[in-house]
Amino acid sequence: MTHLDTELQYLKKDIMELWKITQSQLERGKKALINFDRDLARQIIATEKRVNAYELKIDRDCENIFALFNPVAIDLRFVLAVLKINSNLERIGDIAEGVARFVVDVDKQFSAELLEKTHVIQMFDLSIDILSDTAVAFEKEDTQLARTIFMKDEKLDEINSTASYKIADYIKAHPDQLRESLHVLSMIRKLERVGDQSKNIAEEIIFYLEAKVLKHLSAKQKQE
Amino acid sequence: MSNADWNRLKDNVFKYVGIACTFVGLLMLAIFLIDILIKGVGRLDWQFLSSLPSRMASKAGILPALAGTMWIMVVTAVIAIPLGVSAGIYLEEYGKKSRFASILEININNLAGVPSIIYGLLGVEIFSRVMGLGGSLLAGSLTLALLILPVIIVSTREAIRAVPKTIREGSFALGATKWQTIQHQILPASAGGILTGVILALSRAIGETAPLIVIGALAYVAFVPTTPMDDFSVLPIQIFNWVSRPQKEFHVNAAAAIIVLLVVTFLMNGIAVYLRNRWQKKVKW
Amino acid sequence: MYKIRTTDVNVFYGDNHVIKNVSMEVMPNTVTALIGPSGCGKSTFLRLLNRMNDYIDGFSMTGNIFVDNNEIYSRKTVVEELRKKVGMVFQKPNPFPKSIYENVVYGLRIQGIKNKALLDETVERCLVQAALWNEVKDDLKKSALALSGGQQQRLCIARTLAVEPTVILMDEPASALDPISTSKIEELIYELKNKYTIIIVTHNMQQAGRVSDRTAFFYMGDLVEYDETKKIFTNPKLERTQNYITGRFG
Repeated sequence: MTHLDTELQYLKKDIMELWKITQSQLERGKKALINFDRDLARQIIATEKRVNAYELKIDRDCENIFALFNPVAIDLRFVLAVLKINSNLERIGDIAEGVARFVVDVDKQFSAELLEKTHVIQMFDLSIDILSDTAVAFEKEDTQLARTIFMKDEKLDEINSTASYKIADYIKAHPDQLRESLHVLSMIRKLERVGDQSKNIAEEIIFYLEAKVLKHLSAKQKQE
Repeated sequence: MSNADWNRLKDNVFKYVGIACTFVGLLMLAIFLIDILIKGVGRLDWQFLSSLPSRMASKAGILPALAGTMWIMVVTAVIAIPLGVSAGIYLEEYGKKSRFASILEININNLAGVPSIIYGLLGVEIFSRVMGLGGSLLAGSLTLALLILPVIIVSTREAIRAVPKTIREGSFALGATKWQTIQHQILPASAGGILTGVILALSRAIGETAPLIVIGALAYVAFVPTTPMDDFSVLPIQIFNWVSRPQKEFHVNAAAAIIVLLVVTFLMNGIAVYLRNRWQKKVKW
Repeated sequence: MYKIRTTDVNVFYGDNHVIKNVSMEVMPNTVTALIGPSGCGKSTFLRLLNRMNDYIDGFSMTGNIFVDNNEIYSRKTVVEELRKKVGMVFQKPNPFPKSIYENVVYGLRIQGIKNKALLDETVERCLVQAALWNEVKDDLKKSALALSGGQQQRLCIARTLAVEPTVILMDEPASALDPISTSKIEELIYELKNKYTIIIVTHNMQQAGRVSDRTAFFYMGDLVEYDETKKIFTNPKLERTQNYITGRFG
């Protein structure tokens, strides 16, 4: 194995680790929401530091690899993709931290009816699922799997687009849960962005493996 | 005529002029060889090679002269080769690059061109008179050794110089001393060149006549030399002796002796060329 | 602690001041690259470390050079012993006109080692280390000159390894080779780092980036900057260094 191969392997290991942490942040976020577990939420907020540290390290390693090895072809696309995926994952980490803050901030527990009517748990499940798909697609170099993400994201957009109506209705019916409802609306907006970030990640994976640029195409076009 | 045509014409003219010159030279050589062969080849037989000289042309043979030539070659080699090669190694490897060293180099090159009779005079004074060796084989060999010494030194130096500096560097970088480098790298690599130079020097030596006459080599030797202190004669002197006689039979003898001498010379040169080619194949930088 | 240390080294060829006050330290088991434009003194500096400059007319130096804390220019230094500890690979492969086997064992033979089993084992070990064994193991008696350029250079590395040095100096070892051979040599350097301290002069900056841990930038005899290779290639301290690295001069 060449020196460059060794460095690329380390880089892959690091980004997979960041992926794992981010996934865990989202999963714990869902748990914290359902169980109204504020301690867990505070742990999520503390873990954000690790996410940031990994992001800085991966940035620096990519810079070094470019400077020292002048990678070309697939190696170049790999490092470029990792550099961008790094940012995407860090933002997803931010989103998870933001959601956890809402859980800490609110006074009373979110009612089960609220959570159910707004489909926020479903959104959590969907975003966790999409993020997991990106991780698998990257590790197993599966562009077919990467392409399914674009359609899956549509589902997230659907829930998001009807969210404001649903929340408005709920607030009318339960005006004492105004704050909690607004927090849930914010969470939904944030979770929708997880879908967007994951879409970007999928585009980068396809670019790295196939050298195809799928930016700015419609979801249907990307599926092909 | 265009420039290209003019150049092509010059090319062809030179080619044909070159061929003509070569042809002329070869023609002269061929005429000489054929003449000698016609005159002498009939006289060549075992009796000729194994008899002593005699007043009767038909009985005269070249045995002492041939033996003398062989003796001279061996003894000269024994003296000149170690001296010349060692001196060459020393001058090329250890002699510092000073003004003295370059003066020395120029003088040795000059010595190689000094007329051989001068060496004869030097030899007769130092070896024959002062050292009391008289007109012996030893005196003759010492004189010829002096004669070919510069040639051997120069060709040794050239052969050593041809060994690339990178080989030396490689040897030093592994922790070899100067002498180890010379012994294990320089000498084996230059051996071909040194040997070629030595053989060519020796084949020149066996053709020398004037210095040996001055030393006192006899023109008429009726015995085969057995020790280096014996009197002796060599083929060139024997040839000279026979050619100077009025009788035509002796001229035939001379022609035959010339053939023998030519065979020996060509043989030695042939060995030198063969060895050089073999070494060059082994050692391609 | 330091493998090699130089303090205030100046080198003169006659009146020519070719190395100016160079002080640097090299840690063990690292690869250090010396870069700089032609004539900057990097090869001269490299050759100080195994005293190959001794053979150049008019060479003189001041300052101290320590290898394993021993001053190598002291009167007590035995140059042949130094060169066994500090080996060198040259720019143009220079195998001896002998067989592959004899090339590798040359360094041992001149030490008087004759034991055939030991020599055989050394030949195999060093050719394996130099990544050449599989290509030549069937005919070790073949002339070294019959090998390709890249193979010859690996043979030269093998014969250097045979005397068991602790430092290997490489003077542009791949500049005369094709790209595939070059990358083989670079991989070799990366592997050898575990057991040896390597200093390599190179004209090729990308090569310095690929193989070295630290890089020293020389310019007109001065050591301009000496730092971690990562730092030099992403954010050098001096503008001169940056100009050279980016190819804006030299």
